[in-house]
Amino acid sequence: MAVTGTTEQLGRPWRRRGATVFALACCIGMIAFMAWVLLREIEEVSTANSDNLQWSLAQADVEFLRFELAMQRAQDDPTRVDQVRRRFDIFYSRMDTIENGIVFRALRRDPTYDEPRAIVRAFLQDAIPLIDGDDETLIAALPDLSERAQAVSDEVRRFSLAGLAAFAEVSDARREDLVRTLILLAIVLGALLGGLVLVALAMFRLSQIAIRRSDEVRRTSARMRTIVETSQDAIIVANTRGLILEFNPAAQEIFEIPREEALGERLAELVLPERSRSKARDTYFRFMNDGSRDGTGALQFEVTAKTRGGREFPAEVAVNHAEDASGRQVHVVYMRDISRRRAAENNLTEARDRALAGERAKAEFLAVMSHEMRTPLNGLLGSMQLMRDQDVSDRQQELLSRMEFSGRLLLSLVNDVLDLAKYEAGRIDIVRKPYSVPRLLDGVIETTAPLASKNGNVLEWRWEGTPAEGAVGDPRRLRQVLLNLVGNAVKFTRSGTVEIEAEVVGTADPQLEFRVIDSGVGIASEDLDRIFRDFETLDSSYARQAGGTGLGLGIARRFAKLMGGEIGVESEPGEGSLFWLRLPFEPADLSEPEQTGTKAEPAPSIRPLDILLVEDNEINRLVAREILEADGHSVTEAVNGRAGVEWANARRFDAILMDVSMPVMDGPEAARTIRSGTGPSAATPIIAVTAHALPEEIAEFRKAGMPHCVSKPLDRNVLQQTLAEVAGAAPPVAEPVAAVAPEAKDDPLLDAENLARFASGKSTGLLDRSVAEINWDIDRIAEATLAPADLQQVVHKCAGTCGVFGFTALRSALAAVETDLKRETAVEPETLAALAVLWEETREALQDWRAAQP
Amino acid sequence: MLSFLTRAILAVTVLLPVAAVAQDLPSPEGEVILTVSGAIANTNNGDTATFDLAMLEAMETVTVETTTIWTEGEQTFTGVPLGALMEAVGAESAMLNATAINDYSVEIPAEDWVEGGAIVAYMNNGEAMSVRDKGPLWVVYPFDDDAKYQTEVTYSRSIWQLDRIVVAE
Repeated sequence: MAVTGTTEQLGRPWRRRGATVFALACCIGMIAFMAWVLLREIEEVSTANSDNLQWSLAQADVEFLRFELAMQRAQDDPTRVDQVRRRFDIFYSRMDTIENGIVFRALRRDPTYDEPRAIVRAFLQDAIPLIDGDDETLIAALPDLSERAQAVSDEVRRFSLAGLAAFAEVSDARREDLVRTLILLAIVLGALLGGLVLVALAMFRLSQIAIRRSDEVRRTSARMRTIVETSQDAIIVANTRGLILEFNPAAQEIFEIPREEALGERLAELVLPERSRSKARDTYFRFMNDGSRDGTGALQFEVTAKTRGGREFPAEVAVNHAEDASGRQVHVVYMRDISRRRAAENNLTEARDRALAGERAKAEFLAVMSHEMRTPLNGLLGSMQLMRDQDVSDRQQELLSRMEFSGRLLLSLVNDVLDLAKYEAGRIDIVRKPYSVPRLLDGVIETTAPLASKNGNVLEWRWEGTPAEGAVGDPRRLRQVLLNLVGNAVKFTRSGTVEIEAEVVGTADPQLEFRVIDSGVGIASEDLDRIFRDFETLDSSYARQAGGTGLGLGIARRFAKLMGGEIGVESEPGEGSLFWLRLPFEPADLSEPEQTGTKAEPAPSIRPLDILLVEDNEINRLVAREILEADGHSVTEAVNGRAGVEWANARRFDAILMDVSMPVMDGPEAARTIRSGTGPSAATPIIAVTAHALPEEIAEFRKAGMPHCVSKPLDRNVLQQTLAEVAGAAPPVAEPVAAVAPEAKDDPLLDAENLARFASGKSTGLLDRSVAEINWDIDRIAEATLAPADLQQVVHKCAGTCGVFGFTALRSALAAVETDLKRETAVEPETLAALAVLWEETREALQDWRAAQP
Repeated sequence: MLSFLTRAILAVTVLLPVAAVAQDLPSPEGEVILTVSGAIANTNNGDTATFDLAMLEAMETVTVETTTIWTEGEQTFTGVPLGALMEAVGAESAMLNATAINDYSVEIPAEDWVEGGAIVAYMNNGEAMSVRDKGPLWVVYPFDDDAKYQTEVTYSRSIWQLDRIVVAE
């Protein structure tokens, strides 16, 4: 109610003021007009323009009669002739006055007045010569003059009466004029009175409003005061210069400062600890200094405040800008001690962190355990493979098969749990890099083909719609998900078809969709929701038969989500199933040239050579021997530099492959010794073999007598080229330095071609052993507790092993670390820790690769 | 204040004749045109003071230029201030009664006898006035100089053809 009234009052003052001004103007105008009229009237009345004119006119009559009387008397008594003259003069004078007086002039236009007047005047003019003549003549003329006067006396009466009538009219007109004026005056006065009454009424109303408002203001301010005084928050009012104007009881209590002492002090200095004042002045209290406002709304922030006693506490501050009663800008600052809240928050955060850490520790423990279980499992499986090569009985073969089946089941279970645990521990990162969709699908088909054919299934993939070559994403996770889907499909389909369809859907927000369609047993609709849950297997007996933990689809769902996509299924029991995976699609340009260079060129065939292989790493020796012997060369092995020197001094070789870093005696030292000696092989070309070498080192090798250099891991073609060159059959190959530069980022985790060399049954043991070895080495490296020299040695050795098996990314990373160590650059612990991660990934890739092997 | 002034003027006019007692009025030689009687100190003919034109001309002379409601155009009147005349006769009262040849009569109070007040004119436009021309004497006020003289009372006091003055007892 009050609010509506106020708005109405707010809306109308302009109209109201306009009306008031208009009314006032009218009043003033009316008063001015009246004043003018009255003044004119007063002017007219205040100065008389006649004396008593009735008397004058009547007097004319009287004086003429006296003149006549004087004439008659003089006729009887001629001595009284002078009286005639006197009376004539008096009448003449009167006549003159009546003719010339101002008030009489107007009458001259009136013929009833003027005609008799002219007759009287003519009579007077005629009489003058007689009057002014001598006594005898005048006396003689008296009877005649008297007679003439008699005739004129009526005229005198006539004009005096006419004058009186005219003046009565004038007088009436004047009176009417006056009456009009007075009526007008009365009207105006009435109007003014009315106006005054209205003004009085308006004033009364205004005063009523003012009283009501002031009551309201008083009530409001009383209310405000109560609010301010009972507030739990400190409320401080400061002016634009930051000086305190008001300090409520809560503020006095919080800051332990009495109000009287706070008033007039600087707010920032009073409530902030000294160290944060200047910062506060520059930032959130800036408005106190320059009066600037950041935005129009309230300002909110948190500060550390202090009490007078020196206690510091976190405070929440809200600042509002307002105007005080006189329209000056003031800041209203609310401050609340939030130490208790802050403490509660901290407790909560800590509790949450502890809980999370516990969860993570559990997941991590699970991950570590699974991880640790895989290594011995791999050892067992590898050994079982090796055992098959031995002479075993049929019964033993059967037992081995069972053991292997159980082992693989266990391994896949461990792998699944590891994936899940890593996901829960937040240790899975999704990479984004370009990959080839067809190649990835080829790989999936290739991997699952053996199982598919075992179950009599036809397995193929095709593009639906426009093919897309490259895409950006995480090919490894994608591969894992697809392997799971396709693996399931081929497992649950007997003598049917499993089809993978790939399609790019949508244009605005394109998605890459994979559909795995099988003609298998299908899934009942009530089960469709369950299958993506963890540890769900629809038919335990069947699952056992097919193998699996029931985690596969759960993991696939998690990975799909991680990759920003989704996964789903449509199925009819007995008709088959359709699993789909939809991912955001980002096309990638894969047109960059395939690895060119040495591989492309077929190496010239050369004669079989007698080669000395100096290498401390057993695996490297094995690899080099395989390559060399495959080309028909004969190989003699030496396990270190000194042994190499001894062999070189013992007989002549066609070429020496010399590893650079070796215990006992390193490569360059051995090469120098051989060159400087006189043994049969003193002139034999020596080829330096190095995992990676710095340019300055290659120069050093050359000085030591090793003009050729090949990089590890040994590439068959490069080695052939180099040997051909050494044997004089081919031009020198390009500097191997290019191959040395480590590019860890783009290197694949695995070089399948290299790996394949050790994937044959008999070499699995070697791979398993090497993996265990790398495991051990990486652990030591990642611990970062080794002395630099030792570290370098371990890194070098580990890099060598990685190179052999084509763990390219890890090898490059290790090589980079080695370079740093060689250059005595400090290696960050994070870099070393990253190696462990990389190794982890490598192992997973290896796991996948192994799973894909028939 | 105003009443004080009035009283002061009255006092002066009342006291003046005392100082004039010693003066002797000359006797008129020509035709007597004005006779003053009543409460006067100076006389030259029994208990009246009589004046011919020459006597008046010999007294203090003032000239008033003004229009009147009875004449056409601006007029120049020359004569004796009424105050000076009253002084000359040693008037002992604040009121006089003036009477004309035509027997018109009016009372003139002492407040009109002041400087810048009424004069007894004997010349109009440089010429002596005949009875026909409202002569020989005409009490004239400077009507144009002071609006307070533009009233019917003043007009009634402006007596022409004046020949007698009686100072009230």
